[in-house]
Amino acid sequence: MTALLRYQSALLLRSQRWLPPFLLYAVLLGIGVQGGQPLLDSLGYTAAALLPVAAWLVRICVSGEPPAARTVVAAAAGPARAHLACVLVALGAATLLGTASTAVVALVSDPVGADHQQRVPALEGTAAGLLACLTCALLGTAVGALTAWPVLRSPGRAVPATLLAALLALVVTGSPAHAAVSGLVGGSHTATVHLPLLATAAAALLTAAATGAACALTSRRSP
Amino acid sequence: MHGALRLEGVGRRYGLRGPWVLRGVDLTADPATLIRVEGANGTGKSTLLRLLARVDAPTEGRVTGRPRTAHVPERFPAALPFTALGYLTHLAAVHGLDRTAAERAAGDWLERFGAGTHARTPMTRLSKGSSQKVAVAQALLAEPELLILDEAWTGLDTDARAELERAVAERTAAGTAVVFVDHDPRRLAGTTDVVYAVRDGTLHRRVPQPAAGADGPHTVVEVRGPSPLPEGALRLVVSAEETGDRTHRLTVPAARSDVLLRALLTASPPWHVVGVGPADREGRP
Repeated sequence: MTALLRYQSALLLRSQRWLPPFLLYAVLLGIGVQGGQPLLDSLGYTAAALLPVAAWLVRICVSGEPPAARTVVAAAAGPARAHLACVLVALGAATLLGTASTAVVALVSDPVGADHQQRVPALEGTAAGLLACLTCALLGTAVGALTAWPVLRSPGRAVPATLLAALLALVVTGSPAHAAVSGLVGGSHTATVHLPLLATAAAALLTAAATGAACALTSRRSP
Repeated sequence: MHGALRLEGVGRRYGLRGPWVLRGVDLTADPATLIRVEGANGTGKSTLLRLLARVDAPTEGRVTGRPRTAHVPERFPAALPFTALGYLTHLAAVHGLDRTAAERAAGDWLERFGAGTHARTPMTRLSKGSSQKVAVAQALLAEPELLILDEAWTGLDTDARAELERAVAERTAAGTAVVFVDHDPRRLAGTTDVVYAVRDGTLHRRVPQPAAGADGPHTVVEVRGPSPLPEGALRLVVSAEETGDRTHRLTVPAARSDVLLRALLTASPPWHVVGVGPADREGRP
């Protein structure tokens, strides 16, 4: 598995296809986050913007190889494991990106509530932001895994499906990403920090199930 | 080895109501056998090979056995952001080699197929033939237990074709099951153990005619040593005759001559090789 992860990471890095989603994320943060804004609001925005980026990264990783190259790796390592490596590398990249952005946003934001009066514990707030980022990275990965090859094969259907599913995952009540983000933003109004542990656990379970389903499908679809 | 690969009553169709590509397929890839799959275009040969590589799951029937598998696909694309050596090193690691062994094997196999000068060339700049060499090298470098070659010879130059035939002979001698598809009916004709024809959506097995062994170039090896000849050598030869005191003349398909020499020289006690030369049609040196 280590060799597969190393191969897929090298493929993602060297192909430079990670650049567009990274740039999109940077632009989104540039628009939505400014220095001196309330900490929890900015962290909530940082986490929410990561979800579609994670889904895009999964799409990039699972379609990074031409079909013949994918067959070669699948024959050597098993098609499900090969696919799992793609999804894990995308999740890893999204988590790295989210962690770095949360650190930067925590540094430039003001540790106050939405009213700019009450203080918010900065360290706890950052921890909650990191958990929210992880939740969104996980859920974005689930969205990506379920809307890319081998589940949806034609880009004409897959790309709109990814966008719609990412949007729904953020706004539908009951979605772990929605819970984590609204926990941060709601906490900003009352200047309290809620650690979204339950949401992160739920997102991890959902992502494991979605990835498992996608991996199981790899050998059942035509190449 | 986790058991020979075995297909039992296997059928495959794509989609819920798609037409059956293959049905009722029974095939066992025993160790050290060379299996040829033939059939017209679009009959399902590639689907069969994908099932054998376990890249594809059957719609019905059972596939058992998990040998370490390497697959050379029909058309290998060069559109990967690695150098030839970098890609092969990654693939060798995926096949289970450690880092140092992976790098050495990658370099050795490129050299063996005459692509050593392209080791540092980006894959996107490789010619069609050179990237085919990379595809073949990634399959051979891990010494797999099951080797699947889908038109692997297509696009290779003459030297590389002969090298691949020799590599296949080496692998079968070392116990690998090899399954191949090739347009040239004379490909490995003398050494093929079983032929399967894909026709009407299923598999027809036939044992190759002994006459097929007469096709293709042969090599005559004269050796001296204590009788009897080693078992490993006798399995490879087409004919063996005792020409004098402790001297034997062995005729072997050219692709297998290296394997025969290795078997003779590593026997205990080792045999002395008197001479090696190409054979004419009657098998005389």
